[in-house]
Amino acid sequence: MSLDTTIQAKPPVPPRASNFRVLVGRFAGNPLGGVVAALAIIFVVACFLSPYFLTRFNMTIIARSLAFTGLVTIGQSLLMIMGELDLSVGAIGGLAGIASGIMMVQYGLNPWLSLVLCLMLGAGCGLLNGTLVTRLRLHSLVLTIGMAGVYGGAILVVTKGVAITGIPHEIAFLGSGKLAGVPVPFVVLLVCLAIVVFVMQRTPLGRYVYAIGSNPEAARMLGLRVAAIRTAAFATAGFLSALAGILMVARLGSAQPSIGDTWVLSPIAAAVIGGVATTGGIGSPLGAVLGAVIIGIIENIIVLFGISPYWQSIVSGGIVVLAISFDALTRRYLNRGA
Amino acid sequence: MPVLKVEAVRKEYPGVVALDHVDLTLEPGKVHILAGENGAGKSTLIKTITGLVTPDEGRIFIEGEDALAHRALFEKIAYVPQELNLFAPMTVAENMFMPFSRSGFGHVTVSRRAMERAAQGFMERFGMHARPDQRVSQISVPDQQLLQIARAACRNDFSVLILDEPTSSLTANETAHLFRIIRTLRDEGVAIVFVSHKMDEIFDLGDTVTVLRNGRSVGTHPMSEMTEESLIHLMSGSNIALDQRFQPHSVPGEVILSVEHMSGPGVVDASFELRRGEILGFAGLVGAGRSELMQTMFGYHRATAGRCVVDGVEIPPGRPDRSVARGMVYLSEERKHHGIFPLLSVRENISVSLLDQLARGGIISGKRERSRVDDLIASFDVRTPSPEKKIRFLSGGNQQKAIIGRAMARRPRILIFDKPTKGIDIGTKFQIYRIMQQLAEEGVGIILVSSEMTELQRCATRIITMYERRINGSFDQATTDVNTLVGAIIGARETRHVA
Repeated sequence: MSLDTTIQAKPPVPPRASNFRVLVGRFAGNPLGGVVAALAIIFVVACFLSPYFLTRFNMTIIARSLAFTGLVTIGQSLLMIMGELDLSVGAIGGLAGIASGIMMVQYGLNPWLSLVLCLMLGAGCGLLNGTLVTRLRLHSLVLTIGMAGVYGGAILVVTKGVAITGIPHEIAFLGSGKLAGVPVPFVVLLVCLAIVVFVMQRTPLGRYVYAIGSNPEAARMLGLRVAAIRTAAFATAGFLSALAGILMVARLGSAQPSIGDTWVLSPIAAAVIGGVATTGGIGSPLGAVLGAVIIGIIENIIVLFGISPYWQSIVSGGIVVLAISFDALTRRYLNRGA
Repeated sequence: MPVLKVEAVRKEYPGVVALDHVDLTLEPGKVHILAGENGAGKSTLIKTITGLVTPDEGRIFIEGEDALAHRALFEKIAYVPQELNLFAPMTVAENMFMPFSRSGFGHVTVSRRAMERAAQGFMERFGMHARPDQRVSQISVPDQQLLQIARAACRNDFSVLILDEPTSSLTANETAHLFRIIRTLRDEGVAIVFVSHKMDEIFDLGDTVTVLRNGRSVGTHPMSEMTEESLIHLMSGSNIALDQRFQPHSVPGEVILSVEHMSGPGVVDASFELRRGEILGFAGLVGAGRSELMQTMFGYHRATAGRCVVDGVEIPPGRPDRSVARGMVYLSEERKHHGIFPLLSVRENISVSLLDQLARGGIISGKRERSRVDDLIASFDVRTPSPEKKIRFLSGGNQQKAIIGRAMARRPRILIFDKPTKGIDIGTKFQIYRIMQQLAEEGVGIILVSSEMTELQRCATRIITMYERRINGSFDQATTDVNTLVGAIIGARETRHVA
């Protein structure tokens, strides 16, 4: 699945193909070709559609809002590559955010200590999901629907639906600050993405994740510790969701019970746009995050265009469907030539 | 008049010429054997005559008409693939007539009763022992195999029936039953194409044989002119001594694996010992519990009682990772379910069990990985256009060689081969035997589960027999005749414990 080797190993181009097809073929031979092409097209179209799109101010907005769903997307794409799904990632992010608020405001705990504890809480929630999935041999989709209810309910119990305000200023820069002109949450996203992509491509553990996603029974026969690796992936997804939740609290300056409500479905769509197969074994977290960028640009353009809020969902949903089709259509075009 | 005529068909895939000007003529009422090693082009030829693959060059005539121009003619060809692909939770009748609109049972609603009545007729014709309303998951494997044939044949008047290794999961009795059905169809004037690696079946059933080698046809001959030696010679292009034996020449060493009173799913109270440098055969009928015993002691299934001890260290039940850490490797006969990672490349499939050795400081070296994989591909003769090809596009035999290469590369201390030569051509088979022999002489303990008596006699030093989920005998290969072994396999009373 790694980028560099796939390019090198491309079979010789059949001589009959047209030059354009060769070009497209070289591009699409790369697993990320489809999503990169779609992203480029949407970016160019967006530049033409609105003069405000390619401004520094607007780019910062996109980058900042992307960071939160982007972090969740990394975790979700890991699970999807392994053939699993976690629908409680949004609730875990929300719970971690609320817990950080309670620790910092109501108990006056050191903000940094609170952050670490809440990240552990998120990882713990993921660990619980993973343990239940592997020990009880439950289907992760169904289990995590239930767990989303449990974690989401816990948020309501502790907050009674009321936001926790008065978050210490020390951590505000985590949400609103900039590093060399780049929003801090986006920097966090890039760092996490780099680590995860490296692990997935260059370490045995990453390969095992692909192997398990491709054929879990064969992986077990081979002596891979399938249950442990699965559980670890759930814990990673929980950790990343919690990170997103805490950054959101820092950004808002208050812990809202609604944090994470929209973090469930859009990362799954982003992963699919980015080439992650819903059946497992195929794709990469990098592609998934690029998919999230596409969704982010679409949502941004809709706002810039001043489309009626009532229509926004239809338009963005329709464009997501188009983006998913793009990859399939390119492939079909190429196969006609083969 | 021939019912099907293939003329100078050529098909090229990127990097491989799968078929190179191959001719084939099928006569009605004859069984035509298609023989050749794995990857010789048999599958591509079959796909070409069933219309699944369109050749780059050449012509195909079905009943005298150009089939590539009139593709509806391909409906005359009934094809039974090697792997069962039925809808297990649906009934026999539903499987037979799907898609319903084509079989005339599903205009608006599907008439269950009419369908089951119609199915009954086909089931009698194909000698199935099941009811049309039974779920496929509940009927026996041979009945499923017959259902595959019935399904291919019930749709319309077929004039050619292609069977791709139909006996690989059948016992001798079941095979005999299948052969009776095939002969009936032949006598009704159907042209049969039969693909098999089993010599006795080829000579039992065949009228004519066409041998493919590396995508070319190396000749079509009447079966009566062929001997086993000459056929193997045609297939492999080299001479193989059929009486060759592969017992290791070394003396067995200390006990490396001991299984004590092991019970689990499909196996009851099994005890045995494996020594370094021996090839221990496991004989028995299909379903006698041999694979179940292997999978339970390996930890893939959880043992309910008993212990599995490797080098004095007990393997906890249900932990295949611990078995592997102790140097045990299990190669399952279920290549598709337990062996390959279909979505990954040949390279990734082979290197996945070596990653801990290929990584330095936790990071995989791409260069080392590629060179190691290239070596293994070469030494195990895996035929693939590129290591980056997804493994599911390789032929079955080449997938098997890739997996064997992967298992060997780990330098196992205990190797469990569960029917390693199922669906493998004879050249590769002997190659696998040689590898086993060599490993045993280097001190590896090898278990060979096999349903072929000749295979066990060729390789094993000691043979354990299983009958109805229990071990019922242990024999020294050199001093035991076949009849004694067969007696133990079918559960005859008298069994001698020699070793």
